[in-house]
Amino acid sequence: MRVVVDLELCQGHGVCVGEAPTVFRVRERPGDYAQVEILLESPGESLRAQAEAAVRYCPNRALSLIEDDAPGR
Amino acid sequence: MASASRERPWPKVSGAKPEGGHYAEFIEHPARFLLRAWRECGELAEFDLGGAPHLLMSGPAASEAVFRAPDDQLSPSPPYHFMVPVFGEGIQFGAPLEIERQQVKMQSSALRLDRMRSYAQVIAREVEDWVARWGDEGEKDFYDELKELVLRTSTHCLMGSEFRAKLTDEFGALYHDLEQAVSPASIVDPYAQTEIFARRDRSRARLAEIIGAVVRERQREGGSHPDMLQAFMEAEYLDGHKLSEHEIVGMVIWIMFAGFHTSSNTATWTLVELARHPECVREIASEVDSVYAPGGELGFASLRELPRLERFLFETLRLHPPLVTLMRRVLRDFAYADVVVPEGDTIVVSPYVAHRIPEIYPDPERFDPTRRFPANVFAYIPFGGGRRKCVGNAFAILQVKSIVTALLSRYEFEPVDPPDSYRDVMPSLILRTSSPCRLRYRRRKEADGSRPTRSEASRPALSEAKPSGDRTSLPSEGRQPERERIASAKARQDRA
Repeated sequence: MRVVVDLELCQGHGVCVGEAPTVFRVRERPGDYAQVEILLESPGESLRAQAEAAVRYCPNRALSLIEDDAPGR
Repeated sequence: MASASRERPWPKVSGAKPEGGHYAEFIEHPARFLLRAWRECGELAEFDLGGAPHLLMSGPAASEAVFRAPDDQLSPSPPYHFMVPVFGEGIQFGAPLEIERQQVKMQSSALRLDRMRSYAQVIAREVEDWVARWGDEGEKDFYDELKELVLRTSTHCLMGSEFRAKLTDEFGALYHDLEQAVSPASIVDPYAQTEIFARRDRSRARLAEIIGAVVRERQREGGSHPDMLQAFMEAEYLDGHKLSEHEIVGMVIWIMFAGFHTSSNTATWTLVELARHPECVREIASEVDSVYAPGGELGFASLRELPRLERFLFETLRLHPPLVTLMRRVLRDFAYADVVVPEGDTIVVSPYVAHRIPEIYPDPERFDPTRRFPANVFAYIPFGGGRRKCVGNAFAILQVKSIVTALLSRYEFEPVDPPDSYRDVMPSLILRTSSPCRLRYRRRKEADGSRPTRSEASRPALSEAKPSGDRTSLPSEGRQPERERIASAKARQDRA
Protein backbone atom coordinates (compact mmCIF):
# COMPACT_ATOMS: atom_id res chain seq x y z
CA MET A 1 0.00 0.00 0.00
CA ARG A 2 1.33 3.37 -1.04
CA VAL A 3 0.06 6.87 -0.18
CA VAL A 4 -0.13 9.38 -3.02
CA VAL A 5 -0.93 13.09 -2.86
CA ASP A 6 -2.05 15.44 -5.61
CA LEU A 7 -0.33 18.61 -4.39
CA GLU A 8 -2.30 20.87 -6.73
CA LEU A 9 -5.39 20.03 -4.69
CA CYS A 10 -3.79 20.30 -1.25
CA GLN A 11 -4.55 23.35 0.93
CA GLY A 12 -2.60 22.07 3.91
CA HIS A 13 -5.63 21.75 6.21
CA GLY A 14 -3.88 18.97 8.09
CA VAL A 15 -6.89 16.71 8.55
CA CYS A 16 -4.64 13.83 7.47
CA VAL A 17 -2.19 14.75 10.24
CA GLY A 18 -5.04 14.46 12.73
CA GLU A 19 -5.93 11.04 11.40
CA ALA A 20 -2.47 9.61 10.82
CA PRO A 21 0.19 11.74 12.54
CA THR A 22 3.04 9.37 11.77
CA VAL A 23 2.24 9.25 8.06
CA PHE A 24 1.70 12.94 7.28
CA ARG A 25 2.84 16.36 8.31
CA VAL A 26 2.01 19.84 7.02
CA ARG A 27 4.88 21.88 5.68
CA GLU A 28 4.68 25.68 5.75
CA ARG A 29 5.95 27.26 2.56
CA PRO A 30 6.57 31.01 2.86
CA GLY A 31 4.78 32.87 0.07
CA ASP A 32 2.75 29.85 -0.96
CA TYR A 33 0.10 27.49 0.37
CA ALA A 34 1.05 25.14 3.15
CA GLN A 35 1.15 21.58 1.89
CA VAL A 36 1.12 18.08 3.14
CA GLU A 37 4.31 16.09 3.20
CA ILE A 38 4.20 12.32 3.27
CA LEU A 39 6.47 10.97 5.98
CA LEU A 40 5.77 7.31 5.31
CA GLU A 41 5.06 6.60 1.68
CA SER A 42 4.37 2.92 2.39
CA PRO A 43 2.83 2.99 5.85
CA GLY A 44 2.31 -0.75 6.28
CA GLU A 45 -0.71 -2.72 7.45
CA SER A 46 -0.60 -1.53 11.07
CA LEU A 47 -1.34 2.00 9.87
CA ARG A 48 -3.89 1.04 7.22
CA ALA A 49 -6.95 2.17 9.19
CA GLN A 50 -5.39 5.54 9.94
CA ALA A 51 -4.25 6.04 6.36
CA GLU A 52 -7.68 5.11 5.01
CA ALA A 53 -9.31 7.59 7.37
CA ALA A 54 -6.91 10.29 6.18
CA VAL A 55 -7.83 9.58 2.56
CA ARG A 56 -11.53 9.48 3.35
CA TYR A 57 -11.68 12.66 5.40
CA CYS A 58 -9.30 14.81 3.36
CA PRO A 59 -11.58 17.76 2.63
CA ASN A 60 -9.90 18.32 -0.73
CA ARG A 61 -9.74 14.66 -1.73
CA ALA A 62 -6.07 15.21 -2.46
CA LEU A 63 -4.96 11.82 -1.10
CA SER A 64 -5.27 8.30 -2.41
CA LEU A 65 -4.02 4.85 -1.54
CA ILE A 66 -2.58 2.57 -4.17
CA GLU A 67 -2.48 -1.12 -3.35
CA ASP A 68 0.77 -2.97 -4.00
CA ASP A 69 -0.90 -5.32 -6.47
CA ALA A 70 -2.74 -2.54 -8.31
CA PRO A 71 -2.39 -2.71 -12.09
CA GLY A 72 -0.59 -0.07 -14.11
CA ARG A 73 2.40 0.49 -11.86
CA MET B 1 -9.23 46.42 -23.13
CA ALA B 2 -6.49 44.99 -25.34
CA SER B 3 -8.06 41.55 -25.29
CA ALA B 4 -11.24 42.80 -26.97
CA SER B 5 -9.78 42.34 -30.41
CA ARG B 6 -8.59 38.79 -29.72
CA GLU B 7 -10.34 35.93 -31.43
CA ARG B 8 -12.69 33.92 -29.25
CA PRO B 9 -13.49 30.79 -31.22
CA TRP B 10 -16.35 29.56 -29.05
CA PRO B 11 -20.11 30.00 -29.21
CA LYS B 12 -21.79 33.12 -27.81
CA VAL B 13 -24.97 32.91 -25.79
CA SER B 14 -27.96 34.38 -27.62
CA GLY B 15 -30.05 37.29 -26.39
CA ALA B 16 -27.35 39.88 -25.59
CA LYS B 17 -28.81 43.39 -25.40
CA PRO B 18 -26.98 46.32 -26.96
CA GLU B 19 -26.89 47.90 -23.50
CA GLY B 20 -25.37 45.66 -20.83
CA GLY B 21 -25.25 42.44 -22.85
CA HIS B 22 -26.72 39.59 -20.74
CA TYR B 23 -26.48 41.55 -17.50
CA ALA B 24 -30.23 41.91 -16.87
CA GLU B 25 -30.97 38.24 -17.54
CA PHE B 26 -27.96 37.09 -15.51
CA ILE B 27 -28.91 39.17 -12.47
CA GLU B 28 -32.52 38.03 -12.61
CA HIS B 29 -31.52 34.42 -11.86
CA PRO B 30 -27.85 33.55 -12.42
CA ALA B 31 -28.43 29.81 -12.10
CA ARG B 32 -31.20 29.75 -14.67
CA PHE B 33 -29.21 31.94 -17.06
CA LEU B 34 -26.06 29.82 -16.81
CA LEU B 35 -28.00 26.63 -17.37
CA ARG B 36 -29.52 28.15 -20.50
CA ALA B 37 -26.06 29.25 -21.63
CA TRP B 38 -24.68 25.74 -21.25
CA ARG B 39 -27.67 24.09 -22.95
CA GLU B 40 -27.31 26.40 -25.88
CA CYS B 41 -23.52 26.40 -26.27
CA GLY B 42 -22.04 23.42 -24.42
CA GLU B 43 -18.67 23.21 -22.67
CA LEU B 44 -17.61 26.77 -23.55
CA ALA B 45 -20.27 29.50 -23.55
CA GLU B 46 -19.43 33.18 -23.82
CA PHE B 47 -21.68 35.84 -22.39
CA ASP B 48 -21.40 39.56 -21.84
CA LEU B 49 -21.88 41.38 -18.55
CA GLY B 50 -21.92 45.10 -19.22
CA GLY B 51 -19.30 44.87 -21.95
CA ALA B 52 -17.01 42.45 -20.09
CA PRO B 53 -16.59 39.06 -21.78
CA HIS B 54 -17.29 36.10 -19.50
CA LEU B 55 -16.68 32.48 -20.43
CA LEU B 56 -18.71 29.76 -18.72
CA MET B 57 -16.61 26.57 -18.68
CA SER B 58 -18.55 23.41 -17.84
CA GLY B 59 -17.68 19.80 -17.23
CA PRO B 60 -15.01 17.94 -15.28
CA ALA B 61 -12.16 18.56 -17.73
CA ALA B 62 -12.81 22.31 -17.90
CA SER B 63 -13.32 22.57 -14.13
CA GLU B 64 -10.10 20.67 -13.53
CA ALA B 65 -8.11 22.98 -15.81
CA VAL B 66 -9.51 26.06 -14.04
CA PHE B 67 -9.03 24.69 -10.52
CA ARG B 68 -5.46 23.59 -11.23
CA ALA B 69 -4.38 26.90 -12.73
CA PRO B 70 -2.09 29.00 -10.52
CA ASP B 71 -3.38 32.15 -8.79
CA ASP B 72 -1.16 34.41 -10.88
CA GLN B 73 -2.83 33.11 -14.03
CA LEU B 74 -6.48 32.76 -12.97
CA SER B 75 -7.25 35.03 -10.04
CA PRO B 76 -10.43 35.22 -7.96
CA SER B 77 -9.34 38.57 -6.58
CA PRO B 78 -10.59 41.06 -9.25
CA PRO B 79 -14.05 39.47 -9.72
CA TYR B 80 -14.66 39.56 -5.96
CA HIS B 81 -13.19 42.98 -5.31
CA PHE B 82 -16.59 44.28 -4.22
CA MET B 83 -16.09 42.32 -0.97
CA VAL B 84 -13.13 44.49 0.09
CA PRO B 85 -15.19 47.27 1.78
CA VAL B 86 -17.20 44.55 3.54
CA PHE B 87 -14.31 42.48 4.91
CA GLY B 88 -11.98 45.49 5.17
CA GLU B 89 -8.80 46.72 3.52
CA GLY B 90 -5.91 44.35 4.12
CA ILE B 91 -8.18 41.30 4.37
CA GLN B 92 -8.65 38.53 1.81
CA PHE B 93 -8.70 40.13 -1.64
CA GLY B 94 -7.92 43.49 -0.09
CA ALA B 95 -4.49 42.09 0.87
CA PRO B 96 -1.49 41.03 -1.23
CA LEU B 97 -1.62 37.40 -2.37
CA GLU B 98 1.02 36.13 0.07
CA ILE B 99 -0.89 37.69 2.99
CA GLU B 100 -4.25 36.42 1.75
CA ARG B 101 -2.89 32.86 1.54
CA GLN B 102 -1.77 33.02 5.15
CA GLN B 103 -5.17 34.35 6.18
CA VAL B 104 -6.88 31.46 4.38
CA LYS B 105 -4.64 29.14 6.34
CA MET B 106 -5.71 30.87 9.58
CA GLN B 107 -9.34 30.33 8.59
CA SER B 108 -8.68 26.66 8.05
CA SER B 109 -6.82 26.41 11.38
CA ALA B 110 -9.85 27.89 13.11
CA LEU B 111 -11.77 24.93 11.66
CA ARG B 112 -9.17 22.32 12.59
CA LEU B 113 -10.15 18.82 13.63
CA ASP B 114 -9.69 19.32 17.38
CA ARG B 115 -11.66 22.57 17.34
CA MET B 116 -14.33 20.96 15.22
CA ARG B 117 -15.03 18.53 18.03
CA SER B 118 -16.07 21.36 20.30
CA TYR B 119 -18.04 23.08 17.53
CA ALA B 120 -19.97 19.83 17.08
CA GLN B 121 -21.00 20.07 20.74
CA VAL B 122 -21.98 23.72 20.42
CA ILE B 123 -24.09 23.12 17.34
CA ALA B 124 -25.79 20.09 18.88
CA ARG B 125 -26.73 22.09 21.98
CA GLU B 126 -28.03 25.04 20.00
CA VAL B 127 -30.17 22.68 17.96
CA GLU B 128 -31.49 21.01 21.13
CA ASP B 129 -32.42 24.36 22.56
CA TRP B 130 -34.04 25.37 19.29
CA VAL B 131 -36.35 22.36 19.02
CA ALA B 132 -37.12 22.15 22.73
CA ARG B 133 -40.35 24.13 22.45
CA TRP B 134 -41.71 22.83 19.19
CA GLY B 135 -44.32 20.54 20.71
CA ASP B 136 -45.75 17.47 18.98
CA GLU B 137 -46.63 19.06 15.70
CA GLY B 138 -46.78 22.31 13.82
CA GLU B 139 -45.92 24.24 10.73
CA LYS B 140 -42.99 26.58 10.15
CA ASP B 141 -41.27 28.55 7.46
CA PHE B 142 -37.99 26.67 7.43
CA TYR B 143 -36.11 29.25 5.42
CA ASP B 144 -36.56 31.74 8.28
CA GLU B 145 -36.19 29.12 11.00
CA LEU B 146 -32.89 27.78 9.75
CA LYS B 147 -31.52 31.22 9.07
CA GLU B 148 -32.14 32.07 12.73
CA LEU B 149 -30.70 28.79 13.96
CA VAL B 150 -27.53 29.04 11.88
CA LEU B 151 -27.05 32.64 12.99
CA ARG B 152 -27.02 31.30 16.56
CA THR B 153 -24.70 28.37 15.87
CA SER B 154 -22.39 30.62 13.84
CA THR B 155 -22.10 33.37 16.43
CA HIS B 156 -21.59 30.74 19.12
CA CYS B 157 -18.83 28.83 17.30
CA LEU B 158 -17.26 32.06 16.13
CA MET B 159 -17.43 34.32 19.14
CA GLY B 160 -18.13 32.08 22.11
CA SER B 161 -20.99 31.51 24.51
CA GLU B 162 -20.89 34.89 26.22
CA PHE B 163 -21.14 36.85 22.98
CA ARG B 164 -23.81 34.47 21.74
CA ALA B 165 -25.93 35.05 24.84
CA LYS B 166 -25.66 38.84 24.79
CA LEU B 167 -25.03 40.07 21.28
CA THR B 168 -26.48 37.71 18.68
CA ASP B 169 -29.38 40.01 17.78
CA GLU B 170 -27.23 43.08 17.27
CA PHE B 171 -24.62 41.06 15.42
CA GLY B 172 -27.35 39.66 13.15
CA ALA B 173 -28.75 43.10 12.36
CA LEU B 174 -25.34 44.60 11.59
CA TYR B 175 -24.42 41.62 9.48
CA HIS B 176 -27.66 42.06 7.56
CA ASP B 177 -26.60 45.62 6.63
CA LEU B 178 -23.34 44.28 5.19
CA GLU B 179 -25.23 41.70 3.22
CA GLN B 180 -27.64 44.21 1.77
CA ALA B 181 -24.68 46.10 0.37
CA VAL B 182 -23.41 43.08 -1.57
CA SER B 183 -25.51 43.54 -4.67
CA PRO B 184 -25.19 43.95 -8.41
CA ALA B 185 -24.64 47.67 -7.77
CA SER B 186 -21.63 46.86 -5.60
CA ILE B 187 -20.13 44.83 -8.41
CA VAL B 188 -20.18 47.97 -10.56
CA ASP B 189 -18.83 50.37 -7.89
CA PRO B 190 -18.70 49.34 -4.24
CA TYR B 191 -17.55 52.83 -3.20
CA ALA B 192 -20.40 54.85 -4.76
CA GLN B 193 -21.99 57.49 -2.51
CA THR B 194 -25.26 55.75 -1.68
CA GLU B 195 -27.17 55.27 1.54
CA ILE B 196 -26.85 51.50 1.40
CA PHE B 197 -23.05 51.66 1.20
CA ALA B 198 -22.94 54.34 3.90
CA ARG B 199 -24.96 52.03 6.16
CA ARG B 200 -22.58 49.17 5.30
CA ASP B 201 -19.63 51.27 6.43
CA ARG B 202 -21.35 52.36 9.66
CA SER B 203 -22.35 48.79 10.47
CA ARG B 204 -18.90 47.46 9.79
CA ALA B 205 -17.50 50.11 12.11
CA ARG B 206 -19.97 49.10 14.84
CA LEU B 207 -19.09 45.43 14.34
CA ALA B 208 -15.45 46.40 14.74
CA GLU B 209 -16.35 48.08 18.04
CA ILE B 210 -18.21 45.17 19.56
CA ILE B 211 -15.79 42.51 18.35
CA GLY B 212 -12.83 44.69 19.32
CA ALA B 213 -14.22 45.01 22.85
CA VAL B 214 -14.31 41.22 23.20
CA VAL B 215 -10.77 40.92 21.86
CA ARG B 216 -9.45 43.51 24.33
CA GLU B 217 -11.31 41.93 27.23
CA ARG B 218 -9.81 38.55 26.40
CA GLN B 219 -6.37 40.07 26.07
CA ARG B 220 -6.77 41.52 29.56
CA GLU B 221 -8.21 38.44 31.20
CA GLY B 222 -6.46 35.67 29.30
CA GLY B 223 -7.92 32.21 29.54
CA SER B 224 -8.79 29.82 26.77
CA HIS B 225 -11.87 29.91 24.60
CA PRO B 226 -12.75 27.11 22.21
CA ASP B 227 -14.04 29.41 19.46
CA MET B 228 -12.87 30.85 16.17
CA LEU B 229 -12.27 34.33 17.57
CA GLN B 230 -9.66 32.85 19.91
CA ALA B 231 -8.09 30.99 16.98
CA PHE B 232 -7.81 34.30 15.10
CA MET B 233 -6.37 36.03 18.19
CA GLU B 234 -3.69 33.36 18.51
CA ALA B 235 -2.92 33.03 14.80
CA GLU B 236 0.43 34.24 13.57
CA TYR B 237 1.74 35.14 10.16
CA LEU B 238 4.84 33.26 9.08
CA ASP B 239 7.05 36.14 10.26
CA GLY B 240 5.56 35.79 13.75
CA HIS B 241 3.30 38.86 13.89
CA LYS B 242 -0.33 38.51 14.85
CA LEU B 243 -3.51 39.72 13.22
CA SER B 244 -4.43 43.30 14.08
CA GLU B 245 -7.80 43.99 15.66
CA HIS B 246 -8.98 45.33 12.29
CA GLU B 247 -7.90 42.10 10.62
CA ILE B 248 -9.59 39.94 13.27
CA VAL B 249 -12.87 41.75 12.64
CA GLY B 250 -12.40 41.17 8.91
CA MET B 251 -11.74 37.46 9.45
CA VAL B 252 -14.98 37.15 11.45
CA ILE B 253 -17.03 38.89 8.74
CA TRP B 254 -15.33 36.85 6.02
CA ILE B 255 -16.07 33.51 7.65
CA MET B 256 -19.70 34.59 8.21
CA PHE B 257 -20.12 35.42 4.53
CA ALA B 258 -18.60 32.08 3.61
CA GLY B 259 -20.60 29.97 5.99
CA PHE B 260 -23.84 31.51 7.14
CA HIS B 261 -26.41 31.48 4.32
CA THR B 262 -24.60 28.77 2.41
CA SER B 263 -25.16 26.44 5.38
CA SER B 264 -28.64 27.57 6.35
CA ASN B 265 -29.89 27.36 2.77
CA THR B 266 -28.40 23.89 2.39
CA ALA B 267 -30.06 22.76 5.62
CA THR B 268 -33.39 24.13 4.38
CA TRP B 269 -33.10 22.39 1.03
CA THR B 270 -32.15 19.13 2.76
CA LEU B 271 -35.30 19.28 4.88
CA VAL B 272 -37.44 20.10 1.86
CA GLU B 273 -36.02 17.15 -0.04
CA LEU B 274 -36.60 14.89 2.97
CA ALA B 275 -40.20 16.11 3.11
CA ARG B 276 -40.58 15.49 -0.63
CA HIS B 277 -39.01 12.02 -0.45
CA PRO B 278 -40.64 10.19 2.46
CA GLU B 279 -39.51 6.88 0.90
CA CYS B 280 -35.92 7.79 1.85
CA VAL B 281 -36.65 8.92 5.37
CA ARG B 282 -37.05 5.58 7.15
CA GLU B 283 -33.52 4.40 6.30
CA ILE B 284 -31.95 7.71 7.21
CA ALA B 285 -33.94 8.02 10.42
CA SER B 286 -32.84 4.55 11.53
CA GLU B 287 -29.24 5.47 10.82
CA VAL B 288 -29.69 8.64 12.88
CA ASP B 289 -31.27 6.60 15.70
CA SER B 290 -28.19 4.39 15.82
CA VAL B 291 -25.97 7.28 16.87
CA TYR B 292 -28.33 9.64 18.63
CA ALA B 293 -31.40 9.89 20.83
CA PRO B 294 -33.17 13.16 21.64
CA GLY B 295 -31.45 14.93 24.49
CA GLY B 296 -28.33 12.81 24.14
CA GLU B 297 -24.81 13.79 23.20
CA LEU B 298 -24.12 14.14 19.52
CA GLY B 299 -20.42 14.10 18.88
CA PHE B 300 -18.09 14.67 16.02
CA ALA B 301 -17.20 11.01 15.55
CA SER B 302 -20.86 9.95 15.40
CA LEU B 303 -21.66 12.65 12.90
CA ARG B 304 -18.92 11.50 10.59
CA GLU B 305 -20.46 8.03 10.52
CA LEU B 306 -23.76 8.74 8.81
CA PRO B 307 -23.28 7.53 5.23
CA ARG B 308 -26.94 7.51 4.24
CA LEU B 309 -27.62 10.97 5.53
CA GLU B 310 -24.39 12.08 3.91
CA ARG B 311 -25.44 10.74 0.50
CA PHE B 312 -28.78 12.45 0.84
CA LEU B 313 -27.03 15.69 1.70
CA PHE B 314 -24.62 15.32 -1.23
CA GLU B 315 -27.51 14.80 -3.62
CA THR B 316 -29.14 17.93 -2.17
CA LEU B 317 -25.92 19.87 -2.75
CA ARG B 318 -25.71 18.50 -6.26
CA LEU B 319 -29.05 19.99 -7.28
CA HIS B 320 -28.99 23.03 -5.01
CA PRO B 321 -25.39 24.19 -4.60
CA PRO B 322 -25.62 27.50 -2.72
CA LEU B 323 -22.81 29.08 -4.74
CA VAL B 324 -23.72 29.10 -8.39
CA THR B 325 -20.86 31.09 -9.87
CA LEU B 326 -17.17 30.69 -9.11
CA MET B 327 -15.26 33.40 -10.95
CA ARG B 328 -11.66 33.92 -12.02
CA ARG B 329 -10.05 36.78 -13.92
CA VAL B 330 -7.55 35.73 -16.58
CA LEU B 331 -4.28 37.49 -15.69
CA ARG B 332 -2.22 35.62 -18.29
CA ASP B 333 -3.58 33.92 -21.43
CA PHE B 334 -5.09 30.62 -20.37
CA ALA B 335 -4.82 27.63 -22.71
CA TYR B 336 -7.49 24.97 -22.46
CA ALA B 337 -7.87 22.10 -24.94
CA ASP B 338 -7.33 23.78 -28.32
CA VAL B 339 -8.31 27.33 -27.34
CA VAL B 340 -6.74 30.22 -25.47
CA VAL B 341 -8.80 32.42 -23.15
CA PRO B 342 -7.28 35.89 -23.44
CA GLU B 343 -5.95 37.98 -20.59
CA GLY B 344 -8.64 40.26 -19.17
CA ASP B 345 -11.58 37.89 -19.72
CA THR B 346 -13.46 36.38 -16.79
CA ILE B 347 -13.95 32.64 -16.47
CA VAL B 348 -17.01 31.26 -14.69
CA VAL B 349 -17.33 27.71 -13.34
CA SER B 350 -20.83 26.91 -12.19
CA PRO B 351 -21.52 24.04 -9.79
CA TYR B 352 -25.20 24.40 -10.68
CA VAL B 353 -24.47 23.66 -14.34
CA ALA B 354 -21.67 21.13 -13.74
CA HIS B 355 -24.01 19.02 -11.60
CA ARG B 356 -26.62 18.83 -14.36
CA ILE B 357 -24.58 17.34 -17.18
CA PRO B 358 -26.50 14.20 -18.20
CA GLU B 359 -23.42 12.28 -19.37
CA ILE B 360 -22.20 12.44 -15.77
CA TYR B 361 -25.50 12.58 -13.89
CA PRO B 362 -28.12 10.68 -15.92
CA ASP B 363 -31.58 12.23 -15.68
CA PRO B 364 -29.96 15.15 -13.86
CA GLU B 365 -33.05 16.95 -12.61
CA ARG B 366 -34.24 13.86 -10.77
CA PHE B 367 -33.42 13.85 -7.05
CA ASP B 368 -31.94 10.43 -6.40
CA PRO B 369 -29.92 9.84 -3.22
CA THR B 370 -28.97 6.34 -4.42
CA ARG B 371 -27.23 7.86 -7.43
CA ARG B 372 -23.63 6.79 -8.05
CA PHE B 373 -21.37 9.78 -7.79
CA PRO B 374 -18.49 10.01 -10.26
CA ALA B 375 -15.01 9.17 -8.98
CA ASN B 376 -13.62 12.27 -10.70
CA VAL B 377 -13.25 14.93 -7.99
CA PHE B 378 -13.81 17.67 -10.57
CA ALA B 379 -17.27 16.40 -11.53
CA TYR B 380 -18.81 17.24 -8.15
CA ILE B 381 -17.91 20.75 -7.02
CA PRO B 382 -20.38 22.21 -4.51
CA PHE B 383 -17.38 23.61 -2.60
CA GLY B 384 -15.29 24.45 -5.65
CA GLY B 385 -12.00 22.63 -6.11
CA GLY B 386 -8.24 22.81 -6.13
CA ARG B 387 -6.32 24.87 -3.63
CA ARG B 388 -9.06 27.49 -3.50
CA LYS B 389 -11.69 25.01 -2.48
CA CYS B 390 -13.90 26.19 0.40
CA VAL B 391 -11.89 25.72 3.59
CA GLY B 392 -15.08 25.29 5.60
CA ASN B 393 -16.48 22.35 3.68
CA ALA B 394 -16.05 19.79 6.47
CA PHE B 395 -17.52 22.22 9.00
CA ALA B 396 -20.51 22.92 6.76
CA ILE B 397 -21.26 19.23 6.32
CA LEU B 398 -20.91 18.68 10.06
CA GLN B 399 -23.31 21.52 10.79
CA VAL B 400 -26.02 20.43 8.38
CA LYS B 401 -25.76 16.81 9.53
CA SER B 402 -26.03 17.94 13.12
CA ILE B 403 -29.21 19.93 12.44
CA VAL B 404 -30.85 17.22 10.38
CA THR B 405 -29.94 14.52 12.90
CA ALA B 406 -31.56 16.39 15.77
CA LEU B 407 -34.70 16.97 13.72
CA LEU B 408 -35.08 13.50 12.20
CA SER B 409 -34.64 11.86 15.58
CA ARG B 410 -37.81 13.63 16.70
CA TYR B 411 -39.99 14.57 13.77
CA GLU B 412 -41.37 13.63 10.39
CA PHE B 413 -41.79 16.36 7.81
CA GLU B 414 -44.12 16.95 4.94
CA PRO B 415 -44.59 19.76 2.46
CA VAL B 416 -47.40 22.20 3.21
CA ASP B 417 -47.52 23.45 -0.38
CA PRO B 418 -47.49 21.39 -3.59
CA PRO B 419 -44.09 19.61 -3.73
CA ASP B 420 -43.15 21.16 -7.07
CA SER B 421 -43.74 24.67 -5.77
CA TYR B 422 -40.47 24.60 -3.76
CA ARG B 423 -37.96 26.08 -6.19
CA ASP B 424 -34.42 27.44 -6.45
CA VAL B 425 -34.48 31.23 -6.25
CA MET B 426 -31.66 33.76 -6.22
CA PRO B 427 -32.65 37.11 -4.78
CA SER B 428 -29.00 37.48 -3.77
CA LEU B 429 -25.89 35.80 -5.12
CA ILE B 430 -26.59 32.72 -2.97
CA LEU B 431 -29.08 30.10 -4.12
CA ARG B 432 -31.93 29.37 -1.72
CA THR B 433 -35.40 27.88 -1.53
CA SER B 434 -38.37 29.93 -2.57
CA SER B 435 -40.20 31.43 0.37
CA PRO B 436 -42.26 30.97 2.33
CA CYS B 437 -40.74 27.53 2.64
CA ARG B 438 -43.42 25.89 4.75
CA LEU B 439 -43.12 22.38 6.10
CA ARG B 440 -45.36 20.56 8.54
CA TYR B 441 -43.70 18.54 11.29
CA ARG B 442 -45.13 15.81 13.47
CA ARG B 443 -43.45 13.92 16.30
CA ARG B 444 -42.35 10.45 15.21
CA LYS B 445 -44.59 7.82 16.72
CA GLU B 446 -41.90 5.26 17.48
CA ALA B 447 -39.85 7.98 19.13
CA ASP B 448 -41.87 7.54 22.32
CA GLY B 449 -41.53 3.82 22.79
CA SER B 450 -39.19 1.68 20.77
CA ARG B 451 -36.06 3.79 21.03
CA PRO B 452 -34.03 4.68 24.07
CA THR B 453 -34.68 8.36 24.71
CA ARG B 454 -33.09 10.44 27.35
CA SER B 455 -35.11 13.04 29.14
CA GLU B 456 -35.04 16.36 27.36
CA ALA B 457 -35.60 18.02 30.71
CA SER B 458 -32.22 16.79 31.97
CA ARG B 459 -30.46 19.49 30.01
CA PRO B 460 -30.88 23.14 30.91
CA ALA B 461 -31.97 25.29 28.00
CA LEU B 462 -29.18 27.41 26.65
CA SER B 463 -30.89 30.64 27.61
CA GLU B 464 -30.86 29.53 31.23
CA ALA B 465 -27.19 28.75 31.27
CA LYS B 466 -24.95 31.25 32.94
CA PRO B 467 -23.24 33.31 30.26
CA SER B 468 -19.73 32.43 31.32
CA GLY B 469 -20.59 28.72 31.45
CA ASP B 470 -18.44 26.13 29.81
CA ARG B 471 -21.06 24.92 27.40
CA THR B 472 -18.56 24.62 24.66
CA SER B 473 -16.27 22.27 26.51
CA LEU B 474 -16.24 18.59 25.77
CA PRO B 475 -18.52 16.38 27.81
CA SER B 476 -16.98 14.60 30.75
CA GLU B 477 -15.54 11.16 30.08
CA GLY B 478 -18.22 9.36 32.03
CA ARG B 479 -21.06 10.60 29.83
CA GLN B 480 -19.43 9.87 26.53
CA PRO B 481 -20.55 6.94 24.45
CA GLU B 482 -17.84 4.44 23.63
CA ARG B 483 -17.09 5.67 20.12
CA GLU B 484 -16.78 9.24 21.27
CA ARG B 485 -14.44 8.17 24.05
CA ILE B 486 -12.19 6.41 21.58
CA ALA B 487 -12.27 9.43 19.30
CA SER B 488 -11.33 11.89 22.00
CA ALA B 489 -8.62 9.61 23.34
CA LYS B 490 -7.29 9.50 19.82
CA ALA B 491 -7.49 13.27 19.55
CA ARG B 492 -5.37 13.64 22.69
CA GLN B 493 -2.90 11.17 21.32
CA ASP B 494 -2.83 13.07 18.04
CA ARG B 495 -2.13 16.33 19.78
CA ALA B 496 0.64 14.85 21.84
